[in-house]
Amino acid sequence: MRRAALAVAAFGASFVVLAFLLLPVVAVFVRVSPGTLVAQLGDGAVKDALVVSLETTAAAQALVLLLGTPTAYVLARRFRGRKALVTLVELPLVLPPAVAGLGLLAAFGRTGLLHTSFPFTKTAVVLAVAFVSGPLYVRAAIAAFEAVDANVVAASRTLGAGAGKTFFRVVLPLARGGLTAGAALAVARGLGEFGATIMFAGSLRGVTQTLSLAVYSQFDVNFDVALAVSALLVLTSAALLVTLKWLPSLSTSRFRFATSS
Amino acid sequence: MITGALTIFAAASLTTVFPQIDAHPKYSFAGSNALAAQIRQGAPADVLASANTSIPQKLYDDGLVEKPVVFTRNALILVVPKGNPAHIRTVFDLDRPGVKLVVAAPGVPVGDYTRIVLHNLKLDDALQNVVSNESDVREVLAKVALGEADAGFVYTTDARTVRGKVATIGIRWSAQPIVEYAVAVVRSSTHLKAARYYVQKLLRPWAQGKLRAAGFLARR
Repeated sequence: MRRAALAVAAFGASFVVLAFLLLPVVAVFVRVSPGTLVAQLGDGAVKDALVVSLETTAAAQALVLLLGTPTAYVLARRFRGRKALVTLVELPLVLPPAVAGLGLLAAFGRTGLLHTSFPFTKTAVVLAVAFVSGPLYVRAAIAAFEAVDANVVAASRTLGAGAGKTFFRVVLPLARGGLTAGAALAVARGLGEFGATIMFAGSLRGVTQTLSLAVYSQFDVNFDVALAVSALLVLTSAALLVTLKWLPSLSTSRFRFATSS
Repeated sequence: MITGALTIFAAASLTTVFPQIDAHPKYSFAGSNALAAQIRQGAPADVLASANTSIPQKLYDDGLVEKPVVFTRNALILVVPKGNPAHIRTVFDLDRPGVKLVVAAPGVPVGDYTRIVLHNLKLDDALQNVVSNESDVREVLAKVALGEADAGFVYTTDARTVRGKVATIGIRWSAQPIVEYAVAVVRSSTHLKAARYYVQKLLRPWAQGKLRAAGFLARR
């Protein structure tokens, strides 16, 4: 009797949780007809935001891959102080985005530590996106490199391959799955970046207004346009997530979070 | 009359003065247009105080608020950061290449007023120098006070709240738009009596005195 009640309670709780998580996502699509949603995507502001998002995402993720991969490779080795360094890399993940934006202004603002002229430029958007999404990739990449069998690497070196050749021909292919997964997560997080961007880069159509910022700016101008952009972002994020979970090529090394040991 | 249960949606430019007039209600300060959008989506506001008359008038036409009343006026001013990095002496320096001008977005009352001022001064070209369209006047002020923007248009009352961080440049009266603030009771309010009392109170001499002390102009 009591067991049955517990089971019912557990099912009830999971139903509530699933409904709670799904309802806002579904609501984005059902509030207006799909035809209206698609029509709103033709809005000039949406097109401009799409271009800005694509450009800044491409630039930010290129930076993240180029600089994050070697960083992760270094951090995947065992050395003193590694735990502290990994924690530092992970810090932006748990920072409130508004704090990230303020920090970027304080560091790179015209009156900031480095006195750059980045604020209000596309560079600022790229930096904000890289700052909040990069750690997701680095964290996944550390785990992927850690999962590469050290014996295989040692064998490659014994057989005469140099460090560089071993990295590109042995380590990178073995870690590919984890790296791709990390990159996909970083892209998804970067596309959704809002708080740091609006504080550090401002919002100007065609320059710094990304899709996420367009949702915010259209909210009180044209709710349907805001809904349409939201629907687009939901679909993109869902596609990235599905790719992550089911793409067979990713099964070579399963995506894992870095252990903090 | 108890106003402690009220939720007042008010224009960002009223952030400092409204709690001085009545500290009891819960306040939500933002761009008037964003507040109106929230009310349209069913936000539980009792009163809307907008930095223009057109936003509450539209809500009134749609049956969402009671008849709006004008309770104060304001004027625009140009602010530049302390040190004035772009060497802006008058508004006519704003269309010089390279000036980083921050304004509020179209639709935000101060954003619309800014565009009227620039148009009246035949300075529409200065809009080419806009580097960010902010969501309310305090965001504009913050970016200038921080020194990130070279100049921004705010209300004279906002400039007073960050004295020492910004310098102000006046705009001649003939170029000023009519900046009237209207307040209205939200029809769906569950505290209609207290909400109407709050609106009445804003029109009384004591509250009007507080508004004028903060730099707002007497309603006509």
